[in-house]
Amino acid sequence: MRDAPSLATLAWLVTRDANKTIGSGMASIELLRRTLERRGWIDDREHGVLNAVARFTPGTNVLAYLAALGWSFHGAAGAVVAVLGGSLPGSVIVTILTAAAATLDRWRVVRVALTVATLVAAGLVLANAWSLVRPHVRGARVGWALASAALAAALYLAGATPVRVLLVLAIWGSLTPSEATPQTEKHVAPPR
Amino acid sequence: MSLLLLYALLLKASVTSFSGVGALPQIRQDLVVTYRVMSDEDLSRAVLFGRSSPGPVGLYIVSVGHAVRGVPGAIVGWLALASPAFLAIPMLALLRRWLHLSRVRSALDAVIIASATLLVPSGLLLARDAIMQLAGFVGAHL
Repeated sequence: MRDAPSLATLAWLVTRDANKTIGSGMASIELLRRTLERRGWIDDREHGVLNAVARFTPGTNVLAYLAALGWSFHGAAGAVVAVLGGSLPGSVIVTILTAAAATLDRWRVVRVALTVATLVAAGLVLANAWSLVRPHVRGARVGWALASAALAAALYLAGATPVRVLLVLAIWGSLTPSEATPQTEKHVAPPR
Repeated sequence: MSLLLLYALLLKASVTSFSGVGALPQIRQDLVVTYRVMSDEDLSRAVLFGRSSPGPVGLYIVSVGHAVRGVPGAIVGWLALASPAFLAIPMLALLRRWLHLSRVRSALDAVIIASATLLVPSGLLLARDAIMQLAGFVGAHL
């Protein structure tokens, strides 16, 4: 990555953006991507690499993304700060909600607000999907990218689990290399 | 149930899943069916709270921990949720080591495209659920 936020800035941005949406963690990641991209700290390719790693990591994808992102900027300290920022505030809220469970269900306005927030999150998830494929559909291998997407969709529709879809696509990608493949490594530097 | 056992069971469920709610079947099997320390209703409510809170959907594991052992259980749930995330670091390090190989770059690109493709049904399902719920609220008012 070209430039890096300070540890404190990273902690603040992750805590702010990762806890801004309801209903989908990937929506939070989209907000974080926009913030970091605007400041020149990450680009679509870097985001794609982190996303791929997060997808292959067991557990919650969003926290894996944050761990990898934090590590890329500030090593172990960055990873810890990012995971804490991305999970602690929500955990406190979930705990309070669970403790207050009996009263919340009665408030219609709360349920409507949560539903609207979920709709917004759905839009952000789809925007995140577009940000991941954007470098590929604008690159030199458009046909290959479309074939890859079609293969992934076909496997998903056939009932394959997400991990199996990713594994098959990894094999497919390794069998169809090209010099025109974007130079991913030049965007990804070791942690500072 | 001891906190250590609760952590072990939640960690097992978390590590053997690859998405926020992917751990749900294993959690139900262990905590509802085998150990009977929570009910299906508790579990459904935990998922609802996970989806109603900011941050990852997987936060419902914190609610599950709270339902079983109160605040200490919630802390254990959070630990079980957060700890697998650090496995991403060695994976990223390995990826960077091999990224100069064109086959690895191509495999990575294919995985990224697949990730994006898999996000589409998730986004559409979220939107469908929200729209149906909003229609229900409107219908109840008419």
